[in-house]
Amino acid sequence: MYYYILDPQNIGEKAFEERQIALQGYLAEFKINGEMGRVTPLRSIQSLVETASERGVKTLVACGTDETFNLMLSYLQGRDFTIGFIPLNDSSYLAKIFGLKNLYNSVKTLAARRVVKIDLATVAKSYFVSYLEFGIASSKIKDLSWWSSIKTLSAPSQQLSVRIDNSYVMNLNCLGGIVANTRSTSSESETIANPTDGFLDLLVIEKLNKYQVIKYKEAILQGQLEKIPGTSVIKCRKLEFLEPEGFPLTISGRVITKLPATVEVIQKRLRVIVGKDRTF
Amino acid sequence: MEDINTPAETVVGPSVKIQGDLNSEGNIRIQGQVAGTVNTSQSVHVSEGAKISADVAAGNAIISGEVQGNMKISGNLILQATARVTGDISCAVLRVEDGAQYTGKCTMNGSASPAPAAPMEKKSKSAEPEPEK
Repeated sequence: MYYYILDPQNIGEKAFEERQIALQGYLAEFKINGEMGRVTPLRSIQSLVETASERGVKTLVACGTDETFNLMLSYLQGRDFTIGFIPLNDSSYLAKIFGLKNLYNSVKTLAARRVVKIDLATVAKSYFVSYLEFGIASSKIKDLSWWSSIKTLSAPSQQLSVRIDNSYVMNLNCLGGIVANTRSTSSESETIANPTDGFLDLLVIEKLNKYQVIKYKEAILQGQLEKIPGTSVIKCRKLEFLEPEGFPLTISGRVITKLPATVEVIQKRLRVIVGKDRTF
Repeated sequence: MEDINTPAETVVGPSVKIQGDLNSEGNIRIQGQVAGTVNTSQSVHVSEGAKISADVAAGNAIISGEVQGNMKISGNLILQATARVTGDISCAVLRVEDGAQYTGKCTMNGSASPAPAAPMEKKSKSAEPEPEK
């Protein structure tokens, strides 16, 4: 049985209504109707996940934005679901990763039910499949002009301390970085951000000059920090962000937790329905 | 010999300081500072400006920076012109470039294949003039 969590958050009201109607039509067409729960001020994603669990649902589908998917993951808390995603906006990063082109294609993919097991990253009792950011994050510079980007990316460096795999401590003097499980450029042949290799990748960028800001802004937006000279790349299973206390870690611009915090990978933990054009 | 120019799986950036045991299953490139140990079955590249106060165990190594510690390299070790090494070295093949500084004992166990030399041309018998009888 499918359970669809419909989340209008961050989607215009009119666009949401239109897409919801189209979605219901496609689900009927592919005969994968199920129960729908719409997120409202009184029914959170968390309560909908709990409802699905109580009803013995096997397949949980997030319908909304990347934020909907990430929030849904964070409320799974070890429950055993097969996960699906239907993006209702046009700029979904996760849709690229999972190989979902548009609404129709997403429903078709769901019906085809190609399930793959991928690594799941956990931080502060929540989960993520893409990447976690700290310091200067892509979401902070996404909509900035060149001039504002230069100003933001020329900010003073951050001093961070991170313990890796209980083995060594890294003292970073950096602009920011990411902990990547997967990203839109992932592939099976890629060594970085491969969600099936059982590792996380810590990428840390150092202070940039103006020329580098202009040259590498796109790489920062794509999470491809390894393209920037001087970037540290560490493959690991566990990271403990030790200092400075209170420093925020974010996913898609949302603060997930503050330091100290531990990030770990759970190998092949998540069963997710993906399209043939997935990036890994 | 593993290609030492293949992209490093682990990169320690110039401003990064590591304390502890840096272990990797792939190539390591160090541009910053490491204190502790460095272990990989693949290659280690210590870049110019990097400072290592650590024992290093690796398949191959190229040193352009500063190393204080013992190095156990099962394959080829190259000390480049800017290398500053203090410690005992064990390797199969050693190449020291002009300008490199090295203080310590060196043990060579030449079981590994040496660095490739320029291929020698085989002279064909027919090309040689037959001595006249």
